[in-house]
Amino acid sequence: MWTSWKPLRRALVLLLLLPGPALAFELTDLQGRLNQTEALKGRFEQQRYLADLDTRLKSTGHFLYERDTRMVWVLETPVEDRLVFTAENAVNGTDENSAASAGNDRQRQQVGTLLLQLLQGDWQALQERFTLDVAGTNEAWQVTLTPKARALRQRFTRIELKGADYLDNVALYAANEDVLKVRFFDQQPFDPAAAEAGDGPNR
Amino acid sequence: MAPTAEPQPKKMASLLRLFAWLWALVLLVCILGLGWLVRDGLPVDTRLTAMLPEDHQSPLIEQANGQLGRGFEDRFVLLLSSSNLKADTRTLASTLSDADKAENHGTPLLAEIDWRDTDLIDSDPRQALDRYRYRLLTPELQQIIDQGGSESLIEPALRNLFSPTGQPDPVADPFGLLERWLEARDGSPVQARDGLLTVTLQGSTHALLIGDLAGSPYDIGAQQAMTRILEEFEREHPQATLLRSGLIFHAAAGARQAKREITTIGLGAFIGLVTILLLVFRSPRVLAQMMLPLACGLLLALPVTIMLFGRLHLMTLAFGASLIGIAIDYALHLQCDRAVHGRNFRLGRLLPGLTLGLASSLLAYLAQTLTPMPGLRQMATFAALGLLGAWLSVVLWLPCMRLPSPAATRRLADMLWRRTTPRRGLTPKIALLGLLICGALIGWQLTSDDSLRLLNPSPKALLDQERQVQQALGSDTGNRYLLVTATDEGALLNRLAALGGTLDDWIDEGVPLRITNLADSVPPPRVQQENLSRVKRLYEQPLDALVRQAGLDARVIERARTRLDDVPVLDVATWLASPLGTSQQRLWLSQPETQDSTLVAAALLLQFTGEDDQAPALEQRLQTLAADDDDVIYVNRVARIGELLGQLRKNIVWWVAAAVAALSLLLTWRYGRDTWRVLTPPLGALLGTLSLFALAGIPLNVFSQLGLLLVLGIGLDAGIFSVEHSRRASTWLAISLSTLTSLLAFGLLAFSATPALHYLGLSCLIGLAMVWCLVPWVRPSREHS
Repeated sequence: MWTSWKPLRRALVLLLLLPGPALAFELTDLQGRLNQTEALKGRFEQQRYLADLDTRLKSTGHFLYERDTRMVWVLETPVEDRLVFTAENAVNGTDENSAASAGNDRQRQQVGTLLLQLLQGDWQALQERFTLDVAGTNEAWQVTLTPKARALRQRFTRIELKGADYLDNVALYAANEDVLKVRFFDQQPFDPAAAEAGDGPNR
Repeated sequence: MAPTAEPQPKKMASLLRLFAWLWALVLLVCILGLGWLVRDGLPVDTRLTAMLPEDHQSPLIEQANGQLGRGFEDRFVLLLSSSNLKADTRTLASTLSDADKAENHGTPLLAEIDWRDTDLIDSDPRQALDRYRYRLLTPELQQIIDQGGSESLIEPALRNLFSPTGQPDPVADPFGLLERWLEARDGSPVQARDGLLTVTLQGSTHALLIGDLAGSPYDIGAQQAMTRILEEFEREHPQATLLRSGLIFHAAAGARQAKREITTIGLGAFIGLVTILLLVFRSPRVLAQMMLPLACGLLLALPVTIMLFGRLHLMTLAFGASLIGIAIDYALHLQCDRAVHGRNFRLGRLLPGLTLGLASSLLAYLAQTLTPMPGLRQMATFAALGLLGAWLSVVLWLPCMRLPSPAATRRLADMLWRRTTPRRGLTPKIALLGLLICGALIGWQLTSDDSLRLLNPSPKALLDQERQVQQALGSDTGNRYLLVTATDEGALLNRLAALGGTLDDWIDEGVPLRITNLADSVPPPRVQQENLSRVKRLYEQPLDALVRQAGLDARVIERARTRLDDVPVLDVATWLASPLGTSQQRLWLSQPETQDSTLVAAALLLQFTGEDDQAPALEQRLQTLAADDDDVIYVNRVARIGELLGQLRKNIVWWVAAAVAALSLLLTWRYGRDTWRVLTPPLGALLGTLSLFALAGIPLNVFSQLGLLLVLGIGLDAGIFSVEHSRRASTWLAISLSTLTSLLAFGLLAFSATPALHYLGLSCLIGLAMVWCLVPWVRPSREHS
């Protein structure tokens, strides 16, 4: 879970106890797939659709993900930025950024948390807030998440995940008809200990 | 008819018999009345605040106090820490929300409980403030724009556009001004995590549960249900720790402690009393006869007090236990006299002493019924009624009962007389000298303490928990505030902003203070105007650059600038109606209760965050700040209550002084030159106790003063009887027994953990001992005629 970052295996066991065998089976299957990698790195391409302006904002960069530890999101174009989501980050949420950094930290944190849960396939946590709908096969699976709480529905209408070996596509449909689409590619597992010196984030 | 009454004229005897029957009838009515009044259980009130005087300050301050205090009574907060936080929180929350009040099945304990992360999410505050955002800038942004640093705002705006966590709106707010402003408003330390509401306390995460009681926190059923649930939870989850905050826990602890002490102290006094009486009179029948007046006194006091006041305060019951001490005096005097004189006993001889004793005690109690404290009035009424009932029973019934007069009692009385009678008496000169020395000592050394702590019986552990929770939540109970008035809203906001600026400077200097200011949320109109021109400047060159670098359509610039036309001014009503503003509604006195209809008022909350020893300096500073301005009043509610207690204490002094003066006249009429002998035991004990307090550095407070009132009453009884029957061993035995039993009843209160009762008991303990010591020295050498 978020606090202790328990291994997903435990989430899996809990899921088996939940009602709805078909759902559990599908998710379990998916879980098994996503669960094989301890660390992953790759590139992403993000496209934000602003409905009001009918405009698409594109950005690219790379990411690095270590299960139960952290997620580093490095934006390369058109601006450079680096976001780190970690357990501590979520716990303290203290941002000592100067006045020049924009934004609502609390909300930012919540979106960050959601992103991490999506990337990890943390179904148990997600199921508390979303209705999960699984479809497809092992080679081309698809999960649709619909928010349960009214407060959350005011922000997202639905979230769509697609993938095969790994999670390949995320699409967040905002209530104001904006859409955030992220495509992951060139994904490959790596050894976190070896990568520490290279691309390791300096927190 | 008993043989004791035979020598009296027949007419008198039959009259007495008639009265005795009448009194029996009255008691029968009382029993029936009591049965009817308590048919739904004894209506007991445990509120300690009921002890407090009703405060009549300016209506505006009362309105502010009422508004600031609202919502705190029924609310409670629990902080839970556990290794299995989520599951444990869920268990606790569902147990609490399913709980019924113990004896009242079907009535839920709670009206509401918030613990899920979604429980506190209101609708989006951005919608309500959408059009006002261009007039709302954080001080940092104001500074950046004023100093020409607007270019530095482009980079974060770009990141917001392209980062996955951003929620950009390039037309309405390309620079995310509102986000920043809202972030600065949101001082809440509450975090949503893992489906729970959490706060961080000393580095560890605690789940937060906020409950609203369905009923009153003083409801004993609710207190018991709450205590039981939480204790069960702690037993079943030994790894979890709970921190409690809320009035219900303090009320429950107070009620528990008061009940425990009534049982131990009341029982202790009772057992001591029984033992002593058995030892002296050697007869269970005499014992039963001694208890009869007490029972009758209670039977009269209980129903009449409930009828007069509607409810019975727990403190009244505690006092009732102490009543034993005084009410038994009359029976003691009668029985001692009868035991020693046997067949020669005459009621007529004792009657003047008994009557004067009752009159003096009633006078001391009735002085208390004049105080503005409702709880105290009730206690005094209860005690006065109890005494009256006991006295009537002694005078009307006891002489009619035939009882053994064992030789042992006589021997005991003689022995006591021989052993404790000094060779020489006290002369008026020495008494006067003592009076002067004591007076000087008291005037020079005695201090007083009227702080509210005396009324707070909460155990330290609970107070610690309360402090920790308050600290974690940064919540403010509205105890200190500046009340600001002005002729219109704009002027009020200006005044609030100016005060806020001054206080912010203090905080920068290191003054331990946290403020909640309405003007931080609703800037004065002038500032809002300046902010809008700042935003207009920001929307020139910097906006062009942002749109270009983001690769957005140039139309965005025009659309964004258009939104700066006709920006409405944010007023207080709009802010308070917005999701974030609701918590500040208590600060705003929209319709102040004053004659002046053009007046508006608001409270600026001050929360003291430092150590206790820093408080006086801050207090001084705040008073000076408020004194400079007619439209600003500094209010410290806790200090105000202390002030009221102090006033009460001084009032009691004057009332009692007046009562003693009146009594002295009455006594002079009967005792003439011996009056000083009557007054020396009570007044000497009073001054002696105060001198001892002065020497030991124990400050005088309202409760020790109440104790001295009892010393005065019992001392007067002793003085009257010792002068009335100065050469009788039986009288001295009765006085000794009376002070001893009172010492048991009141002196034991010195061991109470409730500060109020402790001080009451302490002054009784010392004072009563002094009364007993003084009586033999001032006994006249011949019998009063």
